[in-house]
Amino acid sequence: MPTEGVKQKTSYTQFLLPAAIGLALIYFVVLAKAAIFPFILSAALAYILNPLIRYFEVRGIKRSYAVAGLYIGAGVLVFIVVYLLFHFLSFELESLQQSWPEYAGRLQQFMLNLNAKLVKNYPFLASLRLEQKLDHFLEVAPQFILELLPALTLLFVVPFITFFMLIGGSGIIDYLLSHLPSKHAEIILHITSRIDASLGNYLRGILTEACIIFLISFTGLLAMNLNYAAFIAILIGISSIVPYLGAIVGAVTSSIVAYLQFGTLVPIVRILAFFTGIRFFDDWFLQPYIMKKAVKLNPAIILLALMAGWELGGIWGVIFSIPVTCIIKEIVQIAVELQETEFHWKPKPEPTRISIPYT
Amino acid sequence: MRILNFFSRLYDEEILCKMDFLKNISLFKGTRRSQLIHVLESLQERTYLKGETIFTEGDIGRALFIVFSGKIALSRLDRSTQKSETIAEVHPGEFFGEMALLEEMPRTATAYALEDTKVFMLFKIKLESLLFARPVIGVTIAAALAKIMSARLRAIIEKPQQQE
Repeated sequence: MPTEGVKQKTSYTQFLLPAAIGLALIYFVVLAKAAIFPFILSAALAYILNPLIRYFEVRGIKRSYAVAGLYIGAGVLVFIVVYLLFHFLSFELESLQQSWPEYAGRLQQFMLNLNAKLVKNYPFLASLRLEQKLDHFLEVAPQFILELLPALTLLFVVPFITFFMLIGGSGIIDYLLSHLPSKHAEIILHITSRIDASLGNYLRGILTEACIIFLISFTGLLAMNLNYAAFIAILIGISSIVPYLGAIVGAVTSSIVAYLQFGTLVPIVRILAFFTGIRFFDDWFLQPYIMKKAVKLNPAIILLALMAGWELGGIWGVIFSIPVTCIIKEIVQIAVELQETEFHWKPKPEPTRISIPYT
Repeated sequence: MRILNFFSRLYDEEILCKMDFLKNISLFKGTRRSQLIHVLESLQERTYLKGETIFTEGDIGRALFIVFSGKIALSRLDRSTQKSETIAEVHPGEFFGEMALLEEMPRTATAYALEDTKVFMLFKIKLESLLFARPVIGVTIAAALAKIMSARLRAIIEKPQQQE
């Protein structure tokens, strides 16, 4: 007979040790926040890459060889892409730094003229002091872009830690799962597999989508002979994580650059048509195909999550806001379902009954 | 010889052993070896120690269990005597709890490990993913499941007749 079948008196002392370990862990994370951070990023990357390793693993290839193969393959690919990108980017950033004063002057002149016209027609706009705000923005903008570059060091640290996490596999998770109370293992595994399915699909989907949009934008902008195509395409790729934002950012940035570069309206119209095309392509082809199995998040919820993420943890809060929102949404859904089934909020579903006997 | 040694080191014997095991499960009959890879990806593994309960009668079922090694007992509470009776033992290669794949209804028996037992779990959500993402595999499993359910139903109907 099952040993757990015998009803035992609940002793709360059994929760003391896990609670103490949990509290100590939280305290450690709070104290060593900066050191922990690359590990959290690495865990997230390992989670995203794991299905790829699992793909080879279930085909009989040892995990260590699969990870090594992936790193060698990805290393070669990343080297080529990064080399090409840096070649474009460093040149573009350099030329942007050189030509920024000229562009800033033209933009300032354009805004001054516009502001003068607006203030002439609508005097109350003078109180907004748009000129000063623009001056300040034009001063800090290039500096801000260059300040982002040191964050690139994480690009070397994170894959290094991820490598060891991938080699280790799901060892810690398996250990925890195998030490769950056996009676609750089924429900806990059901919850984790549901979260894993929707979160994994969402993250992999959104990253694939961002990569595809980056490639299309880069190719399109390059074909239109627009300056800073690589830089703008990276900006579009990153901002496309927020639905609709990628196309808007792309259209606005490219239009400004096109205006400064060509000084006529025709290239701007072409660019706007191009980004409208990308938007429709994303809506009609990419999203239905890539995101069909992922958790559905309303764009308003995504914006709220991003803003809350910024409030709580700055840029890193923004990065983790969407995965955390996915987890919260799935947990809320599962909690409601469990309330209905386990705590009988809803009447028990009737089993399917058929009057005709088995023949 | 060196090349052979290299390939033998490259391959994980444990995974190959699991694949061979799945090939002989009646639920996956008609599924090709290349397709079984996707089945293996969908399975969750867990070891239950001797005496541990896997699920209790009345719990909502969410997964099917395939016994890889060890032994599981299925017992049911007799309402009249209020005693638990063992109704079946499940051995390696056999499975139980398939009702959970069809509808999330309360379990009709309690399952516990008679010895240290390793099981593969197939959750309803994973089967649904297989059905949509890889219909060929999903349909093969669904058809096998229907055959097994039919056989079990027939066994229940034929049992009283045999006793007569």
